Amino acid sequence: MRLELGYLFIEDVQFGEETKLENKTLYVNKDELVNLIKEDEHFEKVDLELARPGESIRITPVKDVVEPRVKVEGPGGVFPGMISKVDTVGSGKTNVLKGCAVVTAGKIVGFQEGIIDMTGPGADYTPFSKLNNVVLVCEPKEGLKQHEHERALRMAGFKAATYLGEVAKNLTPDEVEIFETEPMLESINKYPELPKVAYVQMLQSQGLLHDTYVYGVDAKESLPTIIYPTEIMDGAIVSGNCVSACDKNTTYHHLNNPVVKDLFAKHGKELNFIGVIITNENVYLADKERSSNWTAKLAEFLGLDGVLVSQEGFGNPDTDLIMNCKKIEQKGIKTVIITDEYAGRDGASQSLADADPLANAVVTGGNANEVITLPPMDKIIGDTSYVDTIAGGFDGSLKEDGSIVVELQAITGATNELGFNKLTAKGY
Amino acid sequence: MTKSIIITNNPLVENRLKEKVFLEYYDVGYLKLLEIVRDKVHLGYKILTHPLSGSVKPNETPYKTVIVSKDNNLDTESLMIIENSIVTTKKLLDINNTPPWNEEILKDFQVIDLSLIEGVLYRL
Repeated sequence: MRLELGYLFIEDVQFGEETKLENKTLYVNKDELVNLIKEDEHFEKVDLELARPGESIRITPVKDVVEPRVKVEGPGGVFPGMISKVDTVGSGKTNVLKGCAVVTAGKIVGFQEGIIDMTGPGADYTPFSKLNNVVLVCEPKEGLKQHEHERALRMAGFKAATYLGEVAKNLTPDEVEIFETEPMLESINKYPELPKVAYVQMLQSQGLLHDTYVYGVDAKESLPTIIYPTEIMDGAIVSGNCVSACDKNTTYHHLNNPVVKDLFAKHGKELNFIGVIITNENVYLADKERSSNWTAKLAEFLGLDGVLVSQEGFGNPDTDLIMNCKKIEQKGIKTVIITDEYAGRDGASQSLADADPLANAVVTGGNANEVITLPPMDKIIGDTSYVDTIAGGFDGSLKEDGSIVVELQAITGATNELGFNKLTAKGY
Repeated sequence: MTKSIIITNNPLVENRLKEKVFLEYYDVGYLKLLEIVRDKVHLGYKILTHPLSGSVKPNETPYKTVIVSKDNNLDTESLMIIENSIVTTKKLLDINNTPPWNEEILKDFQVIDLSLIEGVLYRL
């Protein structure tokens, strides 16, 4: 499966008469996009704001971040099972608005978290401060239940990203990258001397505000399966996960999964990137046993030499992570796990809620308990009343001057467990 | 099929599920609820759902629901999981206690906890 990603670089975003891309500026017809989102009867009010890198803006509470993409050539459309039909994606050509994103903000539950600061010290901890963001603030109709609200807001993000992505349908990209995964036997014949490596991606799948969808299927309802890495780049996996801002994978993370990208970069040189095994993180312990058995079985069946496993979330998934690692290692396959830590304010406490001697190669995305002071911003997009009660927020975290003291876990993407961030820890 | 019991401190779980399943409600905090589950493990119960279910931290939500079932022997895996969960919970509560949330937020936490457990009820 071969996918060409065409990047159109966005350096500014502005409201305009017509939604278009011109001279690296994305112009957005505000009324048109607001009306599109308002077609969903669940929303009382929809507003659109812009947030550019360096501006004194805080966006909170952030639900999802979505990169606008459009299918230019080949089967299917972006976000299959959500926006497009369920045709297999991941081949042909897809254009990407690189340097911008749709951010969905708004309160689904009272304790909802997720801060993106566009400037200041907080901006360094989130990759989304570097993007030209089109922020959707959607207020639900009175009495809308959390489940329906989550779904409506999730779909609003995909709709907006699809709408914006359309501007690039007939444009020539500034840069093109090609990603290709050959059928396994061909790939093994082509690179017989290289170690066969796959990526096991664990998807958050515990329930309300903790879900991930694959071609529209709730990941908790599926057994582990194999997916081409380029399918992920076309939006086959999307986020319905709103909890634990620092280490949840937004849809933007899935589309730009750095594990996938880095494995492609080494494919055919240092290793043979066979493909991706996706698995879930369920609440029921028997599901964990079954899914990790299945993951290990698939890894063995594929004849792998090495596996990278990435986690999503806190606590419960630590058990899935260790089960996956242990069982794959026991098949004689070398395993590296990617996680983050809740190691206390000083980083000295035990990091994960589970452990095993076979988890002997660990990459960390940082310590979510670390504390940071965020200075006040000139403008807030979303709702400030929840900032003091967000994850990582604690009594007295909102200071008189408007600055807030929070743990990194409050910042969207700060300790991302795909490595889509700058934090780590090294042992020597 | 062995008898499954829902152990909860979530009044919403109690109200919604008490007519449908075996349920024990305890008016205690998150940590105490985990300790009750641990004691049950020592009495020969097996844990069926992860005690740290949900990414909401143990020092954020006051509510926790865990499903156990009667087994005849001490299940060491259950013991490891509950002990590790208690260590993690104590670690986070040492950093900060659960804030005094308002009613609206408490209600949201109850809904989330219920949702995590409702998803597995059909397995019982």
